[in-house]
Amino acid sequence: MPPLNYFVVESPDEVGRDAYERVAGDVLQDLDLIKVIDRLHIYVDPKVPIFIAAGLLRHMPREIRVADFANVNRGEKEIVLDIGDETYLAPLLQKLWVIYGKENVDQPDRFTVVLPAGVAGEEDLDRLVVADPSETLYKDVIYALQYIAPEGFKVRRQYIRDGKFYYVASEDTLPPDIVETAVVPLFEKMGVTL
Amino acid sequence: MTTLVPVTYKGGVYRHDEIMDLIDDLGGYVVQKHVMAQDVVLQSFVPRDDLEMIRRIAKPLAGEVIEAPLVGTEIAVVSPSLEIHHLPHISCDVAEYLRRSGAKTNMVGLARGFGKRIANLNDEERDVINEHDLAVYVLGNFEECIRQKFPAIRREIRVPIVVTGAPDRETLMRAIDPPVEGYVGGIGRIMHRFKRPEELAKLDELVDEVSRVLDARRDALAKDPLSVFPPRLMAIIEEQIHEVTMLTHPTPVTAQMEGLRVKLPYDSYADDVRSLPVTEGVTVGDIADVTPSRMRNYILIRIKPFSETRILV
Repeated sequence: MPPLNYFVVESPDEVGRDAYERVAGDVLQDLDLIKVIDRLHIYVDPKVPIFIAAGLLRHMPREIRVADFANVNRGEKEIVLDIGDETYLAPLLQKLWVIYGKENVDQPDRFTVVLPAGVAGEEDLDRLVVADPSETLYKDVIYALQYIAPEGFKVRRQYIRDGKFYYVASEDTLPPDIVETAVVPLFEKMGVTL
Repeated sequence: MTTLVPVTYKGGVYRHDEIMDLIDDLGGYVVQKHVMAQDVVLQSFVPRDDLEMIRRIAKPLAGEVIEAPLVGTEIAVVSPSLEIHHLPHISCDVAEYLRRSGAKTNMVGLARGFGKRIANLNDEERDVINEHDLAVYVLGNFEECIRQKFPAIRREIRVPIVVTGAPDRETLMRAIDPPVEGYVGGIGRIMHRFKRPEELAKLDELVDEVSRVLDARRDALAKDPLSVFPPRLMAIIEEQIHEVTMLTHPTPVTAQMEGLRVKLPYDSYADDVRSLPVTEGVTVGDIADVTPSRMRNYILIRIKPFSETRILV
């Protein structure tokens, strides 16, 4: 079982409930989302048919800035970036190319980037936002729920904002008030208002 | 008449041709040969009385002979969908496990098999499944869904069916009407490979269920035997039509319980196959229907029973 603070799977079909508990556990483990999701409540009823997953995220990872993974050494003529972690090097280069022009961004080796000094706005270079992991995290969470949901449930509605998310799926058209009637009560069970 | 039993021989590549010659000399047939690096697996039929002798001869070669109930059968593993984001799919484990017991398995992922209301089966899928000896339907977690969708995806399937699903065996039996030939409960949608002992036990149960269903079919066949034993016809085709040896398929000629699938283009080779002499004065066309297969452009041979041809080769 994943160490979530709250993890409930509800279904009128007892066998299906156990199976979905295992499926959800496996998927969250595979996609490495156990640390990210704090609470998760799944309701699935094949008779309606409906699949609802609602939950809370633990904390959103913050934006990655240049100072997080590189040292900025300012010289008289040039600025040397000493890269500590290559993970975000590609998006960093993309940003630098836009600011300085591709011909001015020199990369003599994997861990060094040399820029010309004296370009406007370079005081903020340390604070330059390179990537926002929460963007992909949203996608990962929704993808995981899509993964967990029954295969035939192709009609879906999804939401993720301010650390709360829900995913509703069905085989048939979803009623327009499904969020009020079915999703809000699940959040209430977790002690949260949507 | 000697009875042939299906067995799997597992051993090294070194001197395995001696085992193949031995099986041939004893009047047995090798229906499938797999060479994997230094290992060889032979799926074969050998005379029951000579089993001990083969074991004795294989011993110095570190080969082992295991009874494999599914040798010489082609089984379709049908899944309502093989969608990429639902992998790892249990059909893979099911197909692999049946293969280990000697069956030739083909995975059939239905184009529109998902959903309980919208599930259906198209004519190509139906015909392909009907070309097999047996179909294993790998269904999901909810009884309600199985009850509703199964009639749609079994429509006009005439081969025996074994159903698997998460509900237990009794629930499956209750949910499925008209009844099918076999049921295995407790295998639903699982998002990991089968690895725990209880999961592997379920696969063993599935193999037992499949062999039980096929044994019943074999018993029925014994009452009105086929005009020729399929592996025998397979040996004849492999010997006479040399193009077969140039095919790169793992099984260029696939043995079934009541026929063969020859992986040559129907248009160019059907007449050659039909006119092939089986024995003096008897051709393949006399004792079997040579028809185009729905699987690519292959040839499907259906051997007629003795009662129809009055010929027993």
